Amino acid sequence: MNKETIRTGSQKGLLFGIVMIFLVLINFHIMAATMISKVLGTNVLRGAFPEVRFMIIFLVIFGMWAGWSAVRREGSTTNKLFEGLIGGMTTGLVVALFGLILFFLLETQTDVRRYLTALSFASIDIFLLGLRGMGILTLFGLFTLTGVLGGALAVGLRSQAVANFIKKIKTSIRNLRQRITDSLPDNVKKYGKYIFYLLLLVLLLLLPARWGSYNNFVFGMVGIYVILGIGLNIMLGLSGQFMIGIAALFAMGAYSVALLNSPFPHGLMWGFWPSLAVGVVMAVIGGLLLGLPIMRLRGDYLGIVTLGFGEIIRILLNSDLLTDLTGGPRGIQNIQQPTFLGMPFNDVSYAYLIIIAMAVSIFLYYRIENSRTGRAWLSIKEDALVSQATGVDVQKYKLLALCVGAAFAGLAGGIFAARNQFTGPNDHTLMVSINVLSVVIVGGINSIPGIILGSFALRGLPELLRELETYRLLVFGALLVFMMIVRPEGLWPASRPDLEEKGNTGLKEDLDPEENEGRSDD
Amino acid sequence: MTEIIIEAVKVSKYFGGLKAVNEVDLQIPKGSIYSIIGPNGAGKTTLFNCISGFYIPETGDILYYGTPIQGMPTNFIASQGISRTYQNVRLFGNLTAMENVLIGLHNKLRSNWLDAIMHSPRFTRENSWSMEEAVSLLDFVGLKGYGDFLASNLPYGMQRRLEIARALANKPRLLLLDEPTAGMNIQETTDLTHFIQRLRDELEISIILIEHDMKVVMGISDRITVLDYGTKIAEGSPDEIQSNPRVIEAYLGPGGAALAEKYRSQRRKNNA
Repeated sequence: MNKETIRTGSQKGLLFGIVMIFLVLINFHIMAATMISKVLGTNVLRGAFPEVRFMIIFLVIFGMWAGWSAVRREGSTTNKLFEGLIGGMTTGLVVALFGLILFFLLETQTDVRRYLTALSFASIDIFLLGLRGMGILTLFGLFTLTGVLGGALAVGLRSQAVANFIKKIKTSIRNLRQRITDSLPDNVKKYGKYIFYLLLLVLLLLLPARWGSYNNFVFGMVGIYVILGIGLNIMLGLSGQFMIGIAALFAMGAYSVALLNSPFPHGLMWGFWPSLAVGVVMAVIGGLLLGLPIMRLRGDYLGIVTLGFGEIIRILLNSDLLTDLTGGPRGIQNIQQPTFLGMPFNDVSYAYLIIIAMAVSIFLYYRIENSRTGRAWLSIKEDALVSQATGVDVQKYKLLALCVGAAFAGLAGGIFAARNQFTGPNDHTLMVSINVLSVVIVGGINSIPGIILGSFALRGLPELLRELETYRLLVFGALLVFMMIVRPEGLWPASRPDLEEKGNTGLKEDLDPEENEGRSDD
Repeated sequence: MTEIIIEAVKVSKYFGGLKAVNEVDLQIPKGSIYSIIGPNGAGKTTLFNCISGFYIPETGDILYYGTPIQGMPTNFIASQGISRTYQNVRLFGNLTAMENVLIGLHNKLRSNWLDAIMHSPRFTRENSWSMEEAVSLLDFVGLKGYGDFLASNLPYGMQRRLEIARALANKPRLLLLDEPTAGMNIQETTDLTHFIQRLRDELEISIILIEHDMKVVMGISDRITVLDYGTKIAEGSPDEIQSNPRVIEAYLGPGGAALAEKYRSQRRKNNA
């Protein structure tokens, strides 16, 4: 026990105390208690307050966390425990002082909700554990106790014995996996990939029919974002063009399907499939027209111009000028539903359509990426000057990338408009472009599994987190920050393919790399 | 008289008021190793950039097999069979060594994105051919077994050789090497010198070389041009250049020639 111990403990405790005050002010303690009670299987009505015992669980977790983080890495065990104690005590002190204020508010029946909207009497009451004045003391005691507990936990879990134990488990898991792969017959190993794809296919065929229209809607959105992400990845990830206006290309696909396929404003009824094709073509033309003037721009400048392009398209769609043509701000309603072999579409068929479109997009992406074209794009991204001097027609390939990427965006837009039976300028805001950009970057640039994961994480999760209501975006933002710290290269980073094997066919035996070192001439 | 592969006629390149290259004439005979030397800032790399199309010369012509190529885009010049390497290695660092060489093969392939989607016969044929070609090129420069390493993860000497492999993939008739031995140790430098000679003898590539290592230059050059302040001050065989007083002054400053002569006579006396 020394000065340092007291300093670290009280600093951390203070921090956690302040965080606790903040959480109470935004009513998060109620939220957290509700979540815990849900996890433990109690049915909580919406808007109802949780029971106090769940509140206590939340406080215990929080207090232990405070104690845990107050413990430094070095120092003796007693020191560490003491740090936990000080941390918990400081947190408790801060929280108790805050509780005292709240208690006075409660006693005098002062309503502060005009300034702090979340701070209702019921909320204060629950925070004081329903004990009113005694609650303050209880809070202090609780935090002190849990602080020590957290410290003890930290001492225990960070000890050498535990580290060794974890290591042992890891090695045994690895050994087990190795043994399983070794024991599998060669056929299974060889066709394992195909078996996996088959299982995936069966899953994708069964799921949409089973799990209800809400899930179909959510995962349809995920699929549309996967297609958009692939389109953007061709521009951004492969050819290195910083495109922010992909919503404009998305809008071109969506509006083509909408205008050619709805009673208003033009009364054209071309049917879904031809208009989808037109949508793709329109998006490609859009990409080409956008590409021509921006060929010489690079990096941030390109980003700014494409951002402007996206906004121009949206504003045009919103403007009075084009109201007769595009329906103006009200958008286009009653888009005719597609039929397939005479059968009308429902949510399940849309799910299948999106899965097929996604599969086709992924297939096309892989085919193009692993080709002369894909490598030319990658070289442009790496170093456009050298790429050109190596023989790549940089301008042509950049335009090609914009057009191919735009085709995917148009496809996604067409499906999107038809599925919603409506599209308007608000479906094509800057947020769409930014969302697609984050899907690609968070998931992992140039990585299809990454883009799929990213779409799930950024589009699927917020929908599924809808139960958390107001805290949806808070949790979501925290997840994003956490992810960017833990996995800065994306959820599933890309790796370059191993190609040397493929070219080795016509040659003699392999040389050992070590043996080969230093043989620059022979 | 041997055929001239590339010829510079009174080529000048200015940067603002600075005459980086000033009315330089060059004639490179086919199948030769031709060195361009000179102190730092003499305009050697600028001249290279004019030949490979990075810069458009203000005046003068660059004739490749008698046809002017100045002002053409760099990819066109590359497609004509002129490849180059860079003073500070410029590989596609996040791609593997194989991919770097495959991009070098770009001009030798014709399959487009539609072929890639359909896996047309042309694509399949070219794909397997290019893979084999890339591996044999890696083998040729001594990088066999390193094909799947990221270019930026390779050691420096290997990066230099990979850059040459990428340049060779283009099947060049003229290869521009910009300080290929910079940053190499003695052993690597000797290896590379032999390698350059092999390029000329086995692949019949004409080579223009910018180099500061005089041992390399004097050892393998057929002819040498010396630039100073953008102007050509001497041209000739290695022996002629070594004894040229203007060259010595350019390197050692005024009076350098006399100084060199003094050391030379001293050495002769010691040897005797």
